[in-house]
Amino acid sequence: MLSQFNTSTGYQVSQKQGSLFGRIDMVAVGLYLALVVIGIVSIISASYDPEMENIFSLSHNYMKQIIWAGIALVFAVVILLIDRRYIHMFSYPLYVIGILSLIAVLIFGVKVNGAKAWFEFGSVRMQPVEFVKIATALMVARVMSDFSFNINRVRDLFKVAMVILIPLIIIVLQNDTGSGLVLCSFLFVFIREGLTKYIYFPLIFSVLLFIASFIFTPEAIFITLLILFTIYSLLKSGDVVGHVRFLAVVSLVTLLLVIFTPLSGYAALMIVCGIAAVVLGAVAIKLRAMVLLWPIIMFVYAMLFVPTCDVLFSKLQPHQQDRILTFVGVKSDPQGIDYNVNQSLIAIGSGGAFGKGYLKGTQTTYGYLPEKHTDFIFCTPGEEGGFLGASVVVILYIALILRLMRMGERIKEPFGRVYCYSVAAILLFHVWVNIGMTIGLMPVMGIPLPLMSYGGSSLLASTILIMIAIRLDASTEDESVYMG
Amino acid sequence: MANNRGAQRYRTLQYVVLLAAVVILGRLFYVQIIDDQYKAKAEANIMRVDTEYPMRGEVLDRRGEYLIRSRVCYDVMVVTRDIPKEGFDSVRLATILNIPMEKLRRELRRAGPASRRPHLVVGYLSQEAKLIFDESDFKGFYTRFRTAREYPRQVGGNLLGYVSEVNDNHIKWDYYAIGDYIGIGGIESAYETMLRGEKGVSYYAKDTRGAIVGSYKNGELDVLPIKGTQLTSTIDARLQEFAERLMVGKVGAVVAIEPATGEILVMVSSPTYNPDLMVGRQRNQNFLEMTRNQQQPQFTRALKEHYAPGSTFKLVQGLVALEEGILHPSDKHPCSQGFTYGVGKNSRTLKCHNHDSPLNLRRAVAESCNSYFCYVFKDIITNPKYGNIKEGMRCWTEYVKSFGFGERLGCDLYGESKGFVPTTEFYDKGYNGRWNWGTVISCAIGQGEMACTPLQMANLAAIIANRGYYITPHIIKAIDGRDSIDSRFYERHHTMVSSRNYQPIIDGMWLSVNDDGTSRLAKLDGWDVCGKTGTAEHNRRDASGKRYPDHSTFISFAPKDNPKIAISVYVEHGGFGSDVAVPIASLIEELYLTDTIQRQEMLQKVLDYKINYGYYDAKQRKYDQQHPKK
Repeated sequence: MLSQFNTSTGYQVSQKQGSLFGRIDMVAVGLYLALVVIGIVSIISASYDPEMENIFSLSHNYMKQIIWAGIALVFAVVILLIDRRYIHMFSYPLYVIGILSLIAVLIFGVKVNGAKAWFEFGSVRMQPVEFVKIATALMVARVMSDFSFNINRVRDLFKVAMVILIPLIIIVLQNDTGSGLVLCSFLFVFIREGLTKYIYFPLIFSVLLFIASFIFTPEAIFITLLILFTIYSLLKSGDVVGHVRFLAVVSLVTLLLVIFTPLSGYAALMIVCGIAAVVLGAVAIKLRAMVLLWPIIMFVYAMLFVPTCDVLFSKLQPHQQDRILTFVGVKSDPQGIDYNVNQSLIAIGSGGAFGKGYLKGTQTTYGYLPEKHTDFIFCTPGEEGGFLGASVVVILYIALILRLMRMGERIKEPFGRVYCYSVAAILLFHVWVNIGMTIGLMPVMGIPLPLMSYGGSSLLASTILIMIAIRLDASTEDESVYMG
Repeated sequence: MANNRGAQRYRTLQYVVLLAAVVILGRLFYVQIIDDQYKAKAEANIMRVDTEYPMRGEVLDRRGEYLIRSRVCYDVMVVTRDIPKEGFDSVRLATILNIPMEKLRRELRRAGPASRRPHLVVGYLSQEAKLIFDESDFKGFYTRFRTAREYPRQVGGNLLGYVSEVNDNHIKWDYYAIGDYIGIGGIESAYETMLRGEKGVSYYAKDTRGAIVGSYKNGELDVLPIKGTQLTSTIDARLQEFAERLMVGKVGAVVAIEPATGEILVMVSSPTYNPDLMVGRQRNQNFLEMTRNQQQPQFTRALKEHYAPGSTFKLVQGLVALEEGILHPSDKHPCSQGFTYGVGKNSRTLKCHNHDSPLNLRRAVAESCNSYFCYVFKDIITNPKYGNIKEGMRCWTEYVKSFGFGERLGCDLYGESKGFVPTTEFYDKGYNGRWNWGTVISCAIGQGEMACTPLQMANLAAIIANRGYYITPHIIKAIDGRDSIDSRFYERHHTMVSSRNYQPIIDGMWLSVNDDGTSRLAKLDGWDVCGKTGTAEHNRRDASGKRYPDHSTFISFAPKDNPKIAISVYVEHGGFGSDVAVPIASLIEELYLTDTIQRQEMLQKVLDYKINYGYYDAKQRKYDQQHPKK
């Protein structure tokens, strides 16, 4: 039945045969290995000290990372050898263990950089949230691959939302908002699995408005929206004269209001747009012109949403405002305004086109960057490899993400597909936020660059995450049928 | 159907992923390739640029002994940002630096909290103290190599100038930056560009805590400082010291020139100060005290002060008249203790002292007869050849200017004054065009509007010694051991008076010294000394309107043939020229020509000679009242 579907849609599904080794996606493994190696090489450079003695001493970060990479490889081999049925089977217990470990760390954990998110065993520190990502991904895949599951049914949506929200809330309670937000990336999976646009579009729109309300003035947001929606509506209807007339009337009336009444430009624009929205909305309903109605509804929504955010925010105490800013990722900066981002921009920006050469980076070597081997590891290829080196890293990540999505598409049952998409989504979120913050696109959030950042739990967790996807992809037809 | 939808969403999500990649790559492209600001910031981030100061050039005197020497010392700098948060042993630091705690605290406050900018804590740290300082390793503090000036003979404060840290105005020029030193005044300023050398630069790599972690790029970019050029001065340090000693307690100037070369042997502007006062940690205080002194120890009178030349100027009148052909050396003019001019109630008398009458030119010079030169000056400017007095005056002015009066001589020291030679236009303006020879007669004897500097007077002595030309006086004779000074110091400037006309005047000067003239004290056995005294009137009056004593002046050269030294001495309120200026000049000549002082009695007399400076005392009292000491 499945194969019929495949032939009818005509898009490629690999029919893998032969040994397990032959079925493993070597492209994904290659990308994975390349990133781990680049990571270690970068950590060596970030920890490099020209006067360093005993370069093989285990006290060096890179030696620890190499050992972790070795351990990760063992895990990778084990995972690839596991029967995929166990993976499916372990989803529930792993998820439960994950939640319990999160609760445990909330009680017994140690605080690092303000987040109570670490277990300490002697000299080894573990961050359970890394493994919770795997457990959650498996759990989401498990729930969503239920035969009767329909993402657009409220009960099912609620169920899968809870799977994500329970760990998310605990992680936020640990004061590790950045890691918690990673779980929001599952929206990516939901969209693939057919989540209706009536849910995800308002969600994304609200999030964008929320972020925009902290960055831009309300006037700027509204005028931008007004122009965007007018263009959208113009493209859909093709009525040039009507739209020009509409903009002209709105501007003119606003102008008149500003001149002849004590209203400010913002208030005047709000009033005019409000009236215009009501009138246009009524007309649109009468004409049943949904094309016109949607932008109007979104605009009215924005008109209510943004001031509400602002008013609520301004009513809060300063320390609460700080907390919210921290929550959205605008971390308070102990060393002055955007010290970290400035330093990381200087490091990357000074790399130029081809970089300063390996171990010749000055910013990363002389210790200007905090967290240079963990969260800001991207600065090392950025500075020493320049645009070329940085692009290679970005392209490798994007290639791995696209490969994971493609693997998901060719797995013939939902469990594997949802899981692969989950991994792709988690990676995408990490890469976007982490690299984004090093180049000033995103606020500073304490999340690592998977596979490259120094840190055993992160490397191990990312390895397991990806290896499970590769293992699922390497499943034979038989196994799949069995699973289906 | 469902899969179709899936395929569509797969495609869309692929675009989302690619969009993220494009945004990141675009931003990277902008940050790394288009925007240049980060490269500069990266440099600034990891470098500490230290200026390496060169050793300032030294100055030798004409005999090869050091006039100015450089010695190594250190500035102690602080970068407050690099001071450890837990503090440091400030008592120990203050002890090592030999400064009071209060001063250390004050400097730290001035440097500002957590500042990146280096701030000078204290200068002039000796090498020994620096070693102790280095051992202690105070984080945030470091030393900077500097040189301080040293003066073996401790002479010529206002002649040599001093070295000071640059001010805001200097920084506007090229080269200078905050913390640099610059020569101020005298030789230090005139030859600043040679003495200062070239600054070097060292680049150090540092980490976030500001600690130096080594040289940046293995010192590839470093520039070594280049030592300042050594100069050889024309000054004779021994003679300068002697002249300064003679001038102690006297306000005025001594300038001695080697006539054949224009080299300045001695240049004393008295009072002067010990140049060591302007070096070291007490210098600011010393400087302030000096500025309070109304006798102005920093004022180089020899170059800048306008004095009336007095009777010494009669020599020029005689020379001009001889050249114009209106005076023959044997011409005699009468003198009845003065020169009376004008008619009726407007008649005036320009007084002269008691001497034989009438005199010829040679005797008139020897006796310094006022009347004689009034006749001579009158004859010059009323010469019928020129038609009227205005043209006559114009001609006279031109002659006088050819002797280097009224213009800067072009000495290598800065700040020379022009002096003043009156012109037709000047009198036209002053007297509304209505003036006659009687109006301007005081010019005849170097009074009235005539003004010149001691340097110009010494130059006049050199001109007469050279029989008609001078070489621009200068203070530096060799640069880095080679006589590569400006070519203008090798050119002869001829006066408008031809050399044959000098002989009668020189004879007169010889008579003045050797045949019972006004300069007889200058007689030096075995040497043909020539000289001319002057007793210059001025307009400085006390509260009751009474004039203070006249200025005593003397110009001289010796020996008569092949002169080795030409000298001018000017002592304010010293009385008659013969009273104090003559012995001072004579003693200097004696030391220079014979290397010894035989006339100990005269030396003692000069040293003991007390002048009452009522004029300056009154000024000082007024100043102290207006600017009480804090």
